[in-house]
Amino acid sequence: MIQVKNLTFSYTKKPFIKDMNFSVNEGEIFGFLGPSGAGKSTLQKILLGMLPGYRGSAIVGGMECREHGSEFYQSIGVDFEYSTMYEKLSARENLEFFSSLYDKRARSIDELLMAVGLENDADKRVSDFSKGMKSRLNFIKALVHDPKLLFLDEPTSGLDPANNRLMKDMILEEKKRGKTILLTTHNMQDATELCDRVAFIVGGQIYAMDSPHNLIMSKGAAVVTYTWIQNGEQTASCELEKMSEDKQLQELIAKNQLQSIHSSEPTLNDIFMEITGRTLV
Amino acid sequence: MRTIRISFIHMLGFVRRDMMLLAAGVSPIFIGLVIRLGIPFSEKMLTEMTGLPYVLVPYFSLFDILYAAIIPVIFCFITAMVMLEERDDHIDRYLFVTQLGRFGYYVSRVVLPAAFSFVVTAILLPACKLSDLSVLELLFLSLAGTLQGIIIALLVVGFSANKLEGMAVTKVSSLVMLGSLAPYFIPGPYRYLLSFMPSFWTGMVITEKQPIFMLVSVLVAALWIVVLWKKVGRKNN
Repeated sequence: MIQVKNLTFSYTKKPFIKDMNFSVNEGEIFGFLGPSGAGKSTLQKILLGMLPGYRGSAIVGGMECREHGSEFYQSIGVDFEYSTMYEKLSARENLEFFSSLYDKRARSIDELLMAVGLENDADKRVSDFSKGMKSRLNFIKALVHDPKLLFLDEPTSGLDPANNRLMKDMILEEKKRGKTILLTTHNMQDATELCDRVAFIVGGQIYAMDSPHNLIMSKGAAVVTYTWIQNGEQTASCELEKMSEDKQLQELIAKNQLQSIHSSEPTLNDIFMEITGRTLV
Repeated sequence: MRTIRISFIHMLGFVRRDMMLLAAGVSPIFIGLVIRLGIPFSEKMLTEMTGLPYVLVPYFSLFDILYAAIIPVIFCFITAMVMLEERDDHIDRYLFVTQLGRFGYYVSRVVLPAAFSFVVTAILLPACKLSDLSVLELLFLSLAGTLQGIIIALLVVGFSANKLEGMAVTKVSSLVMLGSLAPYFIPGPYRYLLSFMPSFWTGMVITEKQPIFMLVSVLVAALWIVVLWKKVGRKNN
C-alpha cells in the first residue's frame, strides 16, 4: 500500500527527513513512534501529498505523492490529533458536509455515530462536545467515505479508559474490514496492542522497524522478581530463561516460602530508549 | 467542480449563520444607496452653503472608483474571515486532504467569491454611479475592484494567525484602495510614488482617460496576487 524509498525532505538547507526507507503492507497497522519534532508529522504530510518538494520516492496506493490528483484522497481518511470540525455546526451537519466532498458515500452516518456512542448527540453543536466526544467524532469523520488507508494521529489522546477501549476496538474493527492504518502515537501501550509493526523515528531517521513483540524480545529479556520473608521481606530477581539456574528460587519453591513471584518484560518504551537514547515525551 | 461548488455553498450557509458576516454581506446595497442619494444631496447642501457652482462634482468619479472597490473588498473580507475561522479550527488542513484539495479550497474561498463580487459590482455600480462612465469603464472598475478584493483577502490570510489578527490586518490592508486618490490630489510626478498600487492605475484610467492604464492596473494587481499567493502557500506548509 505504501512504499517509501530514499525519502529526503528539508524545510531549510538542513535535511529534516533523511534517506528514509520503509513499506507498509495492505491490511497492516503500522505505527510511527517518536518524540515531538522527530519528523512524524512531516512524514505524514508527505504521504498525504501536502509537501511535494521531497526527494526520493513516496508511493501511496500506487501513486507518487507529489503527482497526485483529487481522486488520491478518495481512498484516504485522516484523523488529525486536533479537532477539525465546524464548532458552530452539529455533529451530523459536519459529517454530512465532509462526506459530500467525496464521490462515494459508503458509510451510514447514523451507524457511525452509534458505533462511537454519539447517536444521542448527533444534533448537538460540536462546540458543546467534550474533548473525548470530539475525538470520537473526528475519528468517524475519517471513515465516512470508507477509505482504504487511514492516517490516525494520536487517536486515543485525551480519552477516558472506557472510550480509549472503544476507540482501539474500532481501529481493530477497521483493520478487520481490510483497511491499512498508519498510526502516529506517543502511547507505547496503544502501539504494542494495535500495531503489526512499528518504526522508531528520531531526528528524521528510522532507528528500528519490526513488530512490537520482536522488538521487545530481541532487545531485552523478561525478568522474574520474587519475595520471601527472612528477617523481614526480601526481594530477588533473575532472568526468566535462567530461572532453573537460580538455586535460591528453587529452594524457596521447594519449601513453599515464596511470598510473591511475577515476571516483567521490558516495555516498548524501554526498547525505544535503549535503541534511540531518547524518551518519547 | 462538484466539490468546489459544495464548498462554496457551504461557505454561504456559514455566512448566513454569522450575523456580523451577514450584515457585511448586504452592506454594499446600503452603501450604494448612501452614495447615490446622499452624495448629490450633500453636493446640493454644500453649494447652497458656500455659493460655489460645485464642490463634490469633480470627485464623483472617485466615489464611483471607491464604491467599485468597496463591494469586492467587503465580499473578500467575509471570505477571509471564514478562512481564518477555518484555520483557527484546523479545518482548512482537513479540507486539503479531502477530494476538494488545496486548489479546490482556494477556488471555493477566493476565486468564486471574487467572481461573485464582480457580478454584484457590475450590477450595483451602474445603478449607483454618480459620474458618466462608459460600459468599458464600468466593467474595468468592477474587475479592478475584484482584483483588489482578492489582494486584500490574500493579505489578510497571509499575514494573520487568527481571526482577531485578521480584523486588524483588514483595516491596514484596506489602504490598498487609497492609491486611487493620488491622481485626484497629488500633483505632478509625485503621484507616481504610489504607482506600485493597482488602485493608483485605476484612478489614472478614469482621470487620464487612457485605456492602456487598464492593462497596467491589471498587470500590477496580478503581480501582487502572484506574490501573495506564494506567501499564503508557504504559510500553509
